Amino acid sequence: MLVRADFHIHSCVSPCASLEMSPAAIAEKAKEKGLDLVALTDHNTALNCPAFKANCAQQGLWSLYGMEVTSSEEAHLVCLFEDVETALEFSEFVYKYMPDIENKPEVFGDQVYVDENEEILGEVEKYLGNASGLSIDDVREEVFFRNGLFIPAHVDKPVFSIVSQLGFLPDATYTAIEVFNPANAKDYAKYPVISDSDAHYLDDVAKKQLYIDVEEKSFAALRDSLQNNRIVLK
Amino acid sequence: MKVSDLEALGYTRETKNEMEDFEIKAGYTGDLLSDVMANAPSDSILITIQAHKNTIAVATLAGIRAILVCNKRAIPSDMIEAANDNDVALFKTAETQFEASAKVAEKMKD
Repeated sequence: MLVRADFHIHSCVSPCASLEMSPAAIAEKAKEKGLDLVALTDHNTALNCPAFKANCAQQGLWSLYGMEVTSSEEAHLVCLFEDVETALEFSEFVYKYMPDIENKPEVFGDQVYVDENEEILGEVEKYLGNASGLSIDDVREEVFFRNGLFIPAHVDKPVFSIVSQLGFLPDATYTAIEVFNPANAKDYAKYPVISDSDAHYLDDVAKKQLYIDVEEKSFAALRDSLQNNRIVLK
Repeated sequence: MKVSDLEALGYTRETKNEMEDFEIKAGYTGDLLSDVMANAPSDSILITIQAHKNTIAVATLAGIRAILVCNKRAIPSDMIEAANDNDVALFKTAETQFEASAKVAEKMKD
């Protein structure tokens, strides 16, 4: 079965994302745009994932939980997990490696996490746009240890991508590679290639046309489809 | 050195904010923004190739008041706008970070 997916969406806890990006609003927009499978990937935190899970369930969407980790090389890495608990545990782990620099909402934006009814639960203290102390290889190891999916983000972008930071894509294990411009997929054909919205605003959700052919709606089936390149990118 | 000295060194000013007479007291060269944020001194000039809006946010936090973008990197308009709004003087050059750092450091001895 072909499912339409968007694996890279930011919510209001990402300092650079719009405050309108509550998990409830994202799930509603995802449903409206015809997505089947969505993942929440905020910068270096998974604190909005519990609400996201509830909101996606309300909309009948298949959801994954994770974050976009910034490595010490300042490369953005999409890390996805099957369940919220693992995502939250990984989030706590990464937070310990975030520099002790407080967020300044007036400069970088708010970092609020909410419940499924859009009620604010709290605010993250450290600036989440910063680089963690974990290298690309550290992040990969920690994600695979937790049975997650490891996807370098927008590798064709001139900033905050593995390629912009290292100058090339190291020959290593990746669940898939994310490109910002689907036309660049051919440059990374050695790996399964996906493209996501990287939405920071509601209207950008589902901006890319990504379809995955899965045997069934399960994390194992999804991993299998990604690894075997059963991907349609328009 | 003053911000206006950067123009005298041949660097092209991108911003229109009135920063000419601002006294730059120190400098920092780096492209890893988290390192810049943690270590750049205040009232400083940043010499970098990071030509995007995030650099201005980092500058605001670190107290960087001038930025020199090297290596002919194209500067997007939203970066210029953010610099204007946040009282950061923004310059560009074809020089490498090494060449620019040497020149600016020499000028700072005056």
